[in-house]
Amino acid sequence: MGKLTEVTIKLFAFLQDRLGPTVQIEVPTPVKVAVLFDKVSQLDPQLSATLANSRLAVNQEFVDSDEVSLTASDEIAIIPPVSGG
Amino acid sequence: MYYLRISDTPIDVNEMYQKLVDPQYGGIDMFVGTIRQWTGNVETTKIEYSAYQPMAEKQLEKIAAPIEAQGGRVVVAHRTGSLALTDIAVFVGVAAPHRAEAFKWCRFVIDTLKHEVPIWKKEYDTDKVRWGN
Repeated sequence: MGKLTEVTIKLFAFLQDRLGPTVQIEVPTPVKVAVLFDKVSQLDPQLSATLANSRLAVNQEFVDSDEVSLTASDEIAIIPPVSGG
Repeated sequence: MYYLRISDTPIDVNEMYQKLVDPQYGGIDMFVGTIRQWTGNVETTKIEYSAYQPMAEKQLEKIAAPIEAQGGRVVVAHRTGSLALTDIAVFVGVAAPHRAEAFKWCRFVIDTLKHEVPIWKKEYDTDKVRWGN
Protein backbone atom coordinates (compact mmCIF):
# COMPACT_ATOMS: atom_id res chain seq x y z
CA MET A 1 0.00 0.00 0.00
CA GLY A 2 1.26 3.47 -0.89
CA LYS A 3 1.14 6.15 1.73
CA LEU A 4 -1.73 8.58 1.89
CA THR A 5 -1.54 12.23 0.92
CA GLU A 6 -3.82 14.86 2.41
CA VAL A 7 -5.33 17.03 -0.29
CA THR A 8 -7.63 20.03 -0.20
CA ILE A 9 -10.52 19.92 -2.63
CA LYS A 10 -12.51 22.94 -3.75
CA LEU A 11 -16.26 22.48 -3.97
CA PHE A 12 -18.89 24.46 -5.85
CA ALA A 13 -22.63 24.86 -6.21
CA PHE A 14 -24.70 22.17 -4.46
CA LEU A 15 -21.56 20.47 -3.16
CA GLN A 16 -20.43 23.74 -1.56
CA ASP A 17 -23.86 24.32 -0.03
CA ARG A 18 -23.58 20.96 1.69
CA LEU A 19 -19.90 20.82 2.74
CA GLY A 20 -18.50 24.35 2.45
CA PRO A 21 -15.97 25.75 -0.02
CA THR A 22 -13.26 23.14 0.65
CA VAL A 23 -12.80 19.72 2.20
CA GLN A 24 -9.62 17.91 3.15
CA ILE A 25 -9.32 14.20 2.60
CA GLU A 26 -6.54 11.65 2.54
CA VAL A 27 -6.06 9.70 -0.64
CA PRO A 28 -3.44 7.36 -2.03
CA THR A 29 -1.54 8.76 -4.98
CA PRO A 30 -1.96 8.07 -7.77
CA VAL A 31 -5.65 7.77 -7.02
CA LYS A 32 -8.60 6.67 -9.11
CA VAL A 33 -11.00 9.55 -9.65
CA ALA A 34 -13.85 7.26 -8.60
CA VAL A 35 -12.09 6.53 -5.29
CA LEU A 36 -11.58 10.23 -4.59
CA PHE A 37 -15.25 10.97 -5.34
CA ASP A 38 -16.28 8.09 -3.11
CA LYS A 39 -14.31 9.55 -0.22
CA VAL A 40 -16.15 12.84 -0.62
CA SER A 41 -19.46 11.03 -0.91
CA GLN A 42 -18.78 9.38 2.44
CA LEU A 43 -18.79 12.85 4.02
CA ASP A 44 -22.41 13.34 2.93
CA PRO A 45 -24.34 10.54 1.24
CA GLN A 46 -26.76 13.09 -0.23
CA LEU A 47 -24.00 14.13 -2.63
CA SER A 48 -23.73 10.81 -4.44
CA ALA A 49 -26.10 11.67 -7.31
CA THR A 50 -24.35 14.97 -7.99
CA LEU A 51 -20.90 13.42 -7.68
CA ALA A 52 -21.87 10.76 -10.21
CA ASN A 53 -22.21 13.54 -12.77
CA SER A 54 -19.25 15.66 -11.63
CA ARG A 55 -15.80 16.02 -13.15
CA LEU A 56 -12.44 16.44 -11.45
CA ALA A 57 -10.19 19.40 -12.22
CA VAL A 58 -6.53 19.63 -11.24
CA ASN A 59 -4.77 22.98 -11.54
CA GLN A 60 -7.84 24.36 -13.35
CA GLU A 61 -7.85 21.70 -16.06
CA PHE A 62 -10.43 18.92 -16.41
CA VAL A 63 -9.01 15.45 -15.78
CA ASP A 64 -10.08 13.04 -18.50
CA SER A 65 -8.20 9.98 -17.26
CA ASP A 66 -9.50 7.51 -14.66
CA GLU A 67 -6.49 7.95 -12.41
CA VAL A 68 -4.47 10.96 -11.35
CA SER A 69 -1.32 11.70 -9.35
CA LEU A 70 -1.81 14.42 -6.76
CA THR A 71 0.40 16.44 -4.48
CA ALA A 72 -0.57 18.63 -1.55
CA SER A 73 0.20 21.74 -3.62
CA ASP A 74 -2.12 20.87 -6.53
CA GLU A 75 -5.29 22.92 -6.89
CA ILE A 76 -7.95 20.24 -6.91
CA ALA A 77 -11.62 20.89 -7.59
CA ILE A 78 -14.77 18.90 -8.12
CA ILE A 79 -16.87 20.42 -10.87
CA PRO A 80 -20.55 19.51 -10.62
CA PRO A 81 -22.69 19.80 -13.77
CA VAL A 82 -22.28 23.36 -14.99
CA SER A 83 -25.27 25.59 -15.68
CA GLY A 84 -23.99 28.91 -16.95
CA GLY A 85 -25.45 30.81 -19.85
CA MET B 1 -8.11 40.03 -29.54
CA TYR B 2 -10.85 38.39 -27.52
CA TYR B 3 -12.46 39.97 -24.48
CA LEU B 4 -13.67 37.55 -21.80
CA ARG B 5 -15.16 38.63 -18.49
CA ILE B 6 -16.82 36.89 -15.58
CA SER B 7 -17.92 39.49 -13.10
CA ASP B 8 -20.68 40.82 -10.92
CA THR B 9 -20.74 43.99 -13.01
CA PRO B 10 -23.96 44.47 -15.03
CA ILE B 11 -23.51 43.81 -18.76
CA ASP B 12 -23.85 46.80 -21.08
CA VAL B 13 -24.73 45.42 -24.53
CA ASN B 14 -23.56 48.52 -26.38
CA GLU B 15 -20.22 48.47 -24.59
CA MET B 16 -19.75 44.82 -25.61
CA TYR B 17 -20.89 45.53 -29.17
CA GLN B 18 -18.33 48.30 -29.55
CA LYS B 19 -15.56 45.79 -28.83
CA LEU B 20 -16.63 43.85 -31.95
CA VAL B 21 -16.71 46.76 -34.37
CA ASP B 22 -13.77 46.68 -36.78
CA PRO B 23 -13.39 47.46 -40.51
CA GLN B 24 -12.20 43.92 -41.21
CA TYR B 25 -15.53 42.45 -40.13
CA GLY B 26 -18.77 42.47 -42.11
CA GLY B 27 -20.90 40.43 -39.73
CA ILE B 28 -21.46 40.64 -35.99
CA ASP B 29 -23.66 38.03 -34.33
CA MET B 30 -24.67 38.53 -30.72
CA PHE B 31 -26.50 36.34 -28.24
CA VAL B 32 -27.91 37.84 -25.06
CA GLY B 33 -29.15 35.43 -22.39
CA THR B 34 -31.63 36.89 -19.90
CA ILE B 35 -33.46 35.71 -16.80
CA ARG B 36 -36.76 34.10 -17.85
CA GLN B 37 -39.82 34.09 -15.62
CA TRP B 38 -41.55 30.90 -16.75
CA THR B 39 -40.11 27.49 -17.63
CA GLY B 40 -43.19 25.43 -18.34
CA ASN B 41 -45.27 25.84 -15.20
CA VAL B 42 -42.27 26.70 -12.99
CA GLU B 43 -42.05 30.37 -12.07
CA THR B 44 -38.57 31.79 -11.46
CA THR B 45 -38.12 34.80 -9.20
CA LYS B 46 -34.34 35.28 -9.35
CA ILE B 47 -31.12 33.42 -10.19
CA GLU B 48 -27.78 33.56 -8.41
CA TYR B 49 -24.73 32.77 -10.53
CA SER B 50 -21.40 31.64 -9.13
CA ALA B 51 -18.20 30.62 -10.88
CA TYR B 52 -14.85 28.95 -10.40
CA GLN B 53 -13.47 32.13 -11.83
CA PRO B 54 -9.87 31.39 -12.86
CA MET B 55 -10.79 28.06 -14.43
CA ALA B 56 -13.86 29.56 -16.10
CA GLU B 57 -11.70 32.22 -17.71
CA LYS B 58 -9.24 29.57 -18.91
CA GLN B 59 -12.07 27.54 -20.38
CA LEU B 60 -13.42 30.58 -22.19
CA GLU B 61 -9.96 31.21 -23.64
CA LYS B 62 -9.93 27.67 -25.01
CA ILE B 63 -13.24 28.33 -26.74
CA ALA B 64 -12.25 31.73 -28.09
CA ALA B 65 -8.68 31.07 -29.24
CA PRO B 66 -9.45 28.73 -32.18
CA ILE B 67 -12.06 31.17 -33.50
CA GLU B 68 -9.62 34.03 -33.30
CA ALA B 69 -7.01 31.88 -35.05
CA GLN B 70 -9.49 31.63 -37.94
CA GLY B 71 -9.89 35.38 -38.13
CA GLY B 72 -12.90 36.06 -35.91
CA ARG B 73 -13.24 38.08 -32.72
CA VAL B 74 -14.96 36.82 -29.59
CA VAL B 75 -16.49 38.83 -26.76
CA VAL B 76 -18.03 37.03 -23.78
CA ALA B 77 -19.33 38.55 -20.56
CA HIS B 78 -21.01 36.43 -17.89
CA ARG B 79 -22.56 37.67 -14.70
CA THR B 80 -22.10 36.40 -11.21
CA GLY B 81 -24.25 37.40 -8.28
CA SER B 82 -27.99 37.78 -7.92
CA LEU B 83 -29.98 38.54 -11.07
CA ALA B 84 -33.60 39.61 -11.38
CA LEU B 85 -36.07 38.83 -14.17
CA THR B 86 -34.93 40.25 -17.55
CA ASP B 87 -31.38 40.92 -16.30
CA ILE B 88 -28.63 39.88 -18.70
CA ALA B 89 -26.83 36.74 -17.53
CA VAL B 90 -24.56 36.29 -20.53
CA PHE B 91 -23.45 38.16 -23.62
CA VAL B 92 -21.74 36.33 -26.47
CA GLY B 93 -20.66 38.27 -29.52
CA VAL B 94 -18.65 37.11 -32.50
CA ALA B 95 -17.42 39.28 -35.34
CA ALA B 96 -16.41 37.67 -38.61
CA PRO B 97 -15.73 38.72 -42.19
CA HIS B 98 -19.08 37.21 -43.30
CA ARG B 99 -22.37 36.29 -41.64
CA ALA B 100 -22.08 32.52 -42.00
CA GLU B 101 -19.05 32.32 -39.73
CA ALA B 102 -20.49 34.91 -37.36
CA PHE B 103 -23.67 32.84 -36.81
CA LYS B 104 -21.79 29.55 -36.61
CA TRP B 105 -19.13 30.71 -34.19
CA CYS B 106 -21.54 32.59 -31.93
CA ARG B 107 -23.67 29.50 -31.55
CA PHE B 108 -20.57 27.39 -30.93
CA VAL B 109 -19.39 29.71 -28.16
CA ILE B 110 -22.67 29.78 -26.22
CA ASP B 111 -23.32 26.05 -26.68
CA THR B 112 -19.79 25.13 -25.56
CA LEU B 113 -19.91 27.57 -22.65
CA LYS B 114 -22.99 25.79 -21.34
CA HIS B 115 -21.08 22.49 -21.18
CA GLU B 116 -17.45 23.35 -20.45
CA VAL B 117 -17.26 26.52 -18.36
CA PRO B 118 -17.55 26.14 -14.58
CA ILE B 119 -20.38 28.54 -13.85
CA TRP B 120 -23.46 27.54 -11.90
CA LYS B 121 -26.91 28.93 -11.39
CA LYS B 122 -28.96 28.65 -8.24
CA GLU B 123 -32.51 29.20 -9.29
CA TYR B 124 -35.12 30.59 -6.92
CA ASP B 125 -38.60 29.50 -7.96
CA THR B 126 -41.84 30.48 -6.28
CA ASP B 127 -41.97 27.08 -4.58
CA LYS B 128 -38.34 25.90 -4.25
CA VAL B 129 -34.63 26.58 -4.69
CA ARG B 130 -32.63 24.38 -7.02
CA TRP B 131 -29.19 24.14 -8.56
CA GLY B 132 -28.64 23.85 -12.27
CA ASN B 133 -31.03 23.04 -15.04
